[in-house]
Amino acid sequence: MGKAYRELIHYLDVTVQVIKMAFMTIIEYPSNIAGWLISNPLQFIMGFAIIKFVVASFGQINGWNYGQLAFLYGLSVISHALSMIFFVQGWFMGYYVIEGEFDRYLTRPLGVLYQFFFTNINIFGVTDLIPGILVFIYGCVKCGVRIDPLFIIQVIIILTGATLIRGGIYILLGSTSFHTRSAVDFGQYTQEIMDKTTMYPLSMYPESMQFILTYLIPVGWISFYPVSALLGIDSACNRMLVPFITLAVGILVMLIAGVYFSMGLKKYESAGN
Amino acid sequence: MIEAQNLCKDYALKLKEPGLKGALKGLVMPGYKTIHAVRDLSFHIDKGEIVGFIGPNGAGKSTTIKMMSGILTPTKGRVLIEGRDISKYRKEVVRNIGVVFGQRSQLNWDLRLGESFELLKHIYQIDQADFDRTLEDLDQILGIREIIDKPVRQMSLGQRVKGDLVASMIHSPGVLFLDEPTIGLDVSAKYALRKFIKEINRVRKTTVILTTHDLGDIQELCERLIIINHGVMMEDGNLSEIVDRIAPYKTLVVEYYDESAPEHPGCEMTEHDGNVAKYKFLKKDLTAAEIIADLSNIKTIKDVSIEEAGIDDIIKIAYGS
Repeated sequence: MGKAYRELIHYLDVTVQVIKMAFMTIIEYPSNIAGWLISNPLQFIMGFAIIKFVVASFGQINGWNYGQLAFLYGLSVISHALSMIFFVQGWFMGYYVIEGEFDRYLTRPLGVLYQFFFTNINIFGVTDLIPGILVFIYGCVKCGVRIDPLFIIQVIIILTGATLIRGGIYILLGSTSFHTRSAVDFGQYTQEIMDKTTMYPLSMYPESMQFILTYLIPVGWISFYPVSALLGIDSACNRMLVPFITLAVGILVMLIAGVYFSMGLKKYESAGN
Repeated sequence: MIEAQNLCKDYALKLKEPGLKGALKGLVMPGYKTIHAVRDLSFHIDKGEIVGFIGPNGAGKSTTIKMMSGILTPTKGRVLIEGRDISKYRKEVVRNIGVVFGQRSQLNWDLRLGESFELLKHIYQIDQADFDRTLEDLDQILGIREIIDKPVRQMSLGQRVKGDLVASMIHSPGVLFLDEPTIGLDVSAKYALRKFIKEINRVRKTTVILTTHDLGDIQELCERLIIINHGVMMEDGNLSEIVDRIAPYKTLVVEYYDESAPEHPGCEMTEHDGNVAKYKFLKKDLTAAEIIADLSNIKTIKDVSIEEAGIDDIIKIAYGS
């Protein structure tokens, strides 16, 4: 127990230092800040504007009204932003594999995945968080959700699980580079798929796809099922249980990703000087 | 200190056949060939040694040093550092090693050099007093203070390598691995690097393991050489012993006043060009003074010089061209 505690303190200490350095880097290049502050939120606010337009034209999407869609969209964007802060490096794992950039992580006394993600922590991801939170609060108000401690805890559990699912999927896809020895930037594709499956109700897709997105690539648990439960849209989704299922799925995906990554790391070939 | 036991590293190489047909075949039924980058290497390195790994490009030096520092997992065999298998106990064992790999830097590109050290202080949990003392010591050898506030991206290669050396030693490891550290450095930066290696080895008893193609590095630093070619150990021993064994001869260069040059019964005349003749002789049989005396009895000598069989001859022979 004492050892685990000391280790936790060690990792937290390094994390604080890494975040400090991330802020220093941002300050070093101030012109980037303005660009990110404008373009990132704009991207999601425009996405939301499209939903608003569709709902205004058709009344609703697959039985979901405007407020419910805002709630879903907001929650999805928040977990997207969190995954961008902590796990976006996963998109570029292939380059790290090919260029031999894992060398330095392997020669330091910390977990390799931890170093890979946290020494490259993307503080700019915060700029995605803002529109997400705004739209989510808007959705809460529209749906008349009572924001009490239980609700906040449930949302935190869901967001943790959802971020782990996203991060785990990035790691799984990135780790294929150890075996294929090629750098594929799959960020674009995953982003497209994740957007389309987490920002809109999954129930609008054919059943076979719903099955895949629930059990095989469990992105349904990122936002669709938890929101269905929280808002009481689908009576089959238990309000108390589903947040924990999301968390469990997140942990499971992360564990599988970790094992797959470790297997890949054994095959890591570094790169010639 | 370091024990390599029957180290092997294989790579699977995808076979490519020529043309579109070959490309399609490779896509559907890829053929693989196993490359044995390192085969059955065993050696033992004691605390405080400076060991040079040399061999031609692609010989397996870097693969070996990367297995020793925990970056690559051996296909067979294992590396023990102070009795512990680095593949199994990576996080514990790497606390005691430092690594500088040629062109690759572990410094943060965007920030001042000091920030990279600060991060390492947290990663290795170095307390402030030790950190300051080590930095002070390393500054004495390398003169790091003058660049510590400079962003790494604005540094020259020489300065960056200095930064990387300090970064690799900031946690006072017992073993330092250097993979072609002097590559691309100018004379004064090379000098600083060699001085640094000698100093940390002398003062801190740091075990140093390096790969290099630079004869100067070998001559100045390495008491012991391990020569690798085709993934196999060719030689392992003291530098002068290897030179004596592989190249047990010297060459005497004699200049005469005209173009005729006499033979000498104990030597082989390897070259005769104009007024100059070269005599190759075995060190154990003859001395240069004896040959000069014999030759000057026959003919008047204008000038002499001696060519030692150097490390470059060793490398030529060992690389087995």
